[in-house]
Formats: sequence, C-alpha cells, structure tokens
Amino acid sequence: MLQLVADGLVVGSVIALGAVGLTLTYSILRFANFGQGEFMTWGAYLAVSALALVLAVTGAGVMEPLGPFSFGWQLIPAMALAAVLTAAIALAVDWALFRRLRRQGNAITLVIASFGAALALRNLVQFLYGTLPEYYTREIQIAIRLVPRDVLGGLRITPDQMLVIGLSLLLVVALHVMLARTTLGRAMRATAMNPALARVAGVDVDGVVRATWVIGAMLAAVAGVMAGVVGQVRPMLGFDLLLPLFAAAILGGIGSVWGAVLGGYIVGLAESFSVPLFGAEYRAATAFLVLIGILLLRPTGIFGERA
Amino acid sequence: MTPALEFSGIEGGYEPGLPILRGAGARVMPGEIVTLLGPNGAGKSTLVKAAAGLVPVWAGRVTLGGRDITGMPAHRMVHEGLGFVPQTENVFANLSVLDNLKLAAALVAKRRRRELAEMFALFPDLDRQRGLAAGRLSGGQRQMLAVARALVASPSVLMLDEPSAGLSPKLVGVVFDRLRAVRDAGVPILLVEQNVKAALALADRAVVLVEGRERLEGAAREVAADPRLKALYFGAHEEAA
Ligand SMILES: Nc1ncnc2c1ncn2[C@@H]1O[C@H](COP(=O)(O)OP(=O)(O)OP(=O)(O)O)[C@@H](O)[C@H]1O
Ligand SMILES: [Mg+2]
Repeated sequence: MLQLVADGLVVGSVIALGAVGLTLTYSILRFANFGQGEFMTWGAYLAVSALALVLAVTGAGVMEPLGPFSFGWQLIPAMALAAVLTAAIALAVDWALFRRLRRQGNAITLVIASFGAALALRNLVQFLYGTLPEYYTREIQIAIRLVPRDVLGGLRITPDQMLVIGLSLLLVVALHVMLARTTLGRAMRATAMNPALARVAGVDVDGVVRATWVIGAMLAAVAGVMAGVVGQVRPMLGFDLLLPLFAAAILGGIGSVWGAVLGGYIVGLAESFSVPLFGAEYRAATAFLVLIGILLLRPTGIFGERA
Repeated sequence: MTPALEFSGIEGGYEPGLPILRGAGARVMPGEIVTLLGPNGAGKSTLVKAAAGLVPVWAGRVTLGGRDITGMPAHRMVHEGLGFVPQTENVFANLSVLDNLKLAAALVAKRRRRELAEMFALFPDLDRQRGLAAGRLSGGQRQMLAVARALVASPSVLMLDEPSAGLSPKLVGVVFDRLRAVRDAGVPILLVEQNVKAALALADRAVVLVEGRERLEGAAREVAADPRLKALYFGAHEEAA
C-alpha cells in the first residue's frame, strides 16, 4: 500500500515536470505540443552523450557514485548541458516550423505540425542512438527501508527515487517563484492572458515565446534524465509518457502550474495502484482512463476556470 | 512646434483589400487633449490600434515627437514613449493590481520608469486594492488601473480608447478629472470617445472621423457648436439603416 504510493509519487514527479512544461507552452503559444514527450527523450539521450563527454574531459573514465546515489557528480553537469541543448532544439523547431505557422494563426495546424515534429524527433533519436536501452550507470542501488513491512505493507525506496521526488518539487517551486515574482514571470502570465495588451504594455512577446520554449524544454529534459536515472533511457521514453502528460495537464486545468503538478501525482498514483488491481499490462491504459474520466466529469480540470 | 503625435494619410485594416482607414489623419500638440469622435464603426479604435502597432498600416505615417514610428513593433513603441489604453480588456485580469503596474514599470528603461507611489497618489482607489486581481476591480477602478499602467512608463503621449465606456456619469466625471490632471502634468492625450458632450467639454481640440477619414477638425468649443457635427453622426446612421 505505502509502497504503491511511493512508486506512484516517483513516476508522478516525472510526469509532473513534463506536464508543467506542456501547460506553460499551451497557455502562451495556444496549442497542445505533442513534441513535449520527445523533448524528454532527447534530454535523456543528450545527457548520455554529455555524460560521456564530461567523463572524457575530466579523465575520470568511470563514474564514482556520489554519496548514496547510483551516479557520480558528472551526471549533474551532463544534465545541465542536456537541458541547454534540448532548449536549443526546441528553439530551432520553433524557428523552423511553429513561428511560420503561428502567423497564420490556426491552432489545429500547429497541433498537427507538433505531431509531425515529434515523429521526426523520435526517429532521429533512434537513428542516432539505436533502439537498445542506455543507462547512466550500471551501479546497483540498495533500497532503504523507510517503513517496516508490518506497517501498511512497508516502504522501500532508493536514494535515487527520493532525489527524483525532491528535485521535481524544487524545480516546480522555483518555477512558481519565477512566475510570481520576476518580470519575465509576470510578462509570461500577462501574455497568456492577453497577448495584444501585453504588446502595448511593452512586452516583447516573441521573447516571451522563446523563454517559454526554453523553460518547457529544460523541464522536459530534466524529467527525461530523471526517468532515465530510475529506469532506462529508451527511444520511447517520452512517447510512452505523452498520454500521462496530457492527462495530468488537463486534469489539473490546462494553464495551471500547480494543477499540472497535482495532476502528475494523481496520474502517477493511479498508474501505480492499477498494477495490483488490474495487472501490469493495463498500467499504460490508466492515464487514458483518467483522461476520459476528467473530460466527462470536469473538462476544465481541478484548477481550470476558463470554460 | 513639433506635434507630440501625428497621423497622416493612414490607410490600413484587418484584412488585405478591406480598408477600414482611408487616409486618416490627426495631430496632438504638446499640452493638449484631443478627442477623436465619430459614429460607431468609423474606425476610431482601428486608428489608435494601428498607431500602437496592433493593426497593419498599409500607407501613411505615424510620428511621435517628430520621429517616424510607423510599422515599429508594438512593444518598441512603448519604449519610444507611446502610451496606449485599449477599449476593452485593458488590464491583465489574472494579475494583481500591483503586478499590473510592476510589470509595466519594469518593461521600460529606468529613466522612463515612474514610482508606483506616484500612481497610487494619483489613483488612491488603486492603493487600497493593491493585492486584488485586476479582473475583480469595479469598472471605474479598472479604467484607472489601465490608465495608471500606461502612465507608469511615462509616455510622451497617451492614447485612450473610450475610457468612459460603461461608467456611470459620476464616474466619467472622476475619470475625466484624472485625465485633466495627467494633461496638466505634461502628458498630451488623444482621447477616443462616444460620450461626445463630456469629451468636447474636456478636450482642447476635436477630430471627427467618418468611414476611416477625418471629416471635421477644430477647437473643441467650435466643433461642439458646429452644425456639421450632428450631421456627420446622423448621416452615418442613415447610411447604416
Ligand atoms: N478585429 C477585427 N477584425 C475585422 N474587422 C474589424 C475588427 N475590429 C473592427 N473591425 C471592423 O472595423 C470597422 C471599424 O471598427 P472600429 O472598432 O475601429 O470602430 P470604432 O469607430 O472604434 O467604433 P465604436 O465606436 O463602436 O468603438 C468596423 O466595420 C468593424 O466591423
Ligand atoms: Mg471603438
């Protein structure tokens, strides 16, 4: 029981970060970006390459685990580099594709285009890295028993998993503070509300759009690396998370950062609880069920206001 | 004297081939309030939006203090000193009163940035509602915030699109009183209005726009007394009917 909660929170943390990025790009660019999952995949793979680079440059060769974690400090700069590169990819895709389509102002075209971009990005990853899973480290981690077995089934968790939950929360809080307190954050909220008024108030809306891509893609990249740390780096990593991402963003009320986070946890928990209830093969269907449920019961989501 | 703001021969519209503005012109001299009048659909809002960079200008020139700003991106015009308050949805409803002002102030260079305290002194009502989401302000307070949002960037000219819309006559008086204070503090104003009587009483000069072109122009008192004023409004109504 407790174990399911913990597992759900780990998966939910990854979903939450991806969904926050999705909800941000949706509220400012006004289309659902089906490429968000691929940014996760690209982030995870770019971190594999960046890690090899960092190891080569520092001459370490193999990674010494950092404290209780399975990976060494080298993964941290590798993740940062991967996030920057993923942001660059997002900007490039926007420049080459979405920027032109935005002028014609049809949301459907943009969604379809993002579908195409996602497909291209996914195939490119397979072409470059192959289809076999990659790992940041082969180190086996011993899970820590936090709760003994006789209390609600007990709870074991690895330091890596705890880090995933903590880092995701930290990033969301940082994003929240940025949106609430900084000029860029206010400009982003203003643009989401009313782009024309934002322009006459002095907001460089193109700049806000670029910042949104950078933030959304960086969050996705970190989410992808975290998924790789607690699992494998696979070409389908992001695609498999796409439906949960959408379910989480819509469940929380599209446009709401905290909604996306809460939605991420709920979808993660629903997936994890579905395993003992319906069997592991139906795990992937859970997000779909959650999504249909929300659309039927409360299409605006938990925190959604706009009808 | 160089006009604070001048439009000449502006042609433009929302869709190619469907001109709304057909050579519109107007000018605002330093220290004056000019009211832009005209029947519904004359293109008043379109003209100020075109000047502010929200509607494409196909021909003609917009100059701000003698500098040509035609076709400049809207946000850059703000840095150049053009202030604009649109007719509807003119505050960020999801941001607090304070955040509306903080954002507008932070977006312009330091030398242009006015103290928020100055805005709260000019509009004491807003001071009491600092933390409230702008979408929950009353109509009058919302107009005050919209004006304050533009003023905090110390514009060299302020364009206002129907700030009196939807307000009670008493509130119109309050808002216009503030506008007079703004002008007296040295910011010339271009005021689009439907409220012809009140606007002509406030303004120094008036321009009447019909079908995207100015048809009557002069000192506010003379325009108010001009029999053509009624005819221009009336004529447009007859055509519409
Ligand atoms: N966003 C738009 N897209 C296309 N046409 C528009 C748009 N906004 C206004 N128009 C058209 O442009 C013309 C002029 O409208 P505009 O809003 O400038 O008039 P106005 O003088 O401000 O009228 P009012 O006094 O009612 O505000 C009208 O025929 C209107 O239908
Ligand atoms: Mg109008």
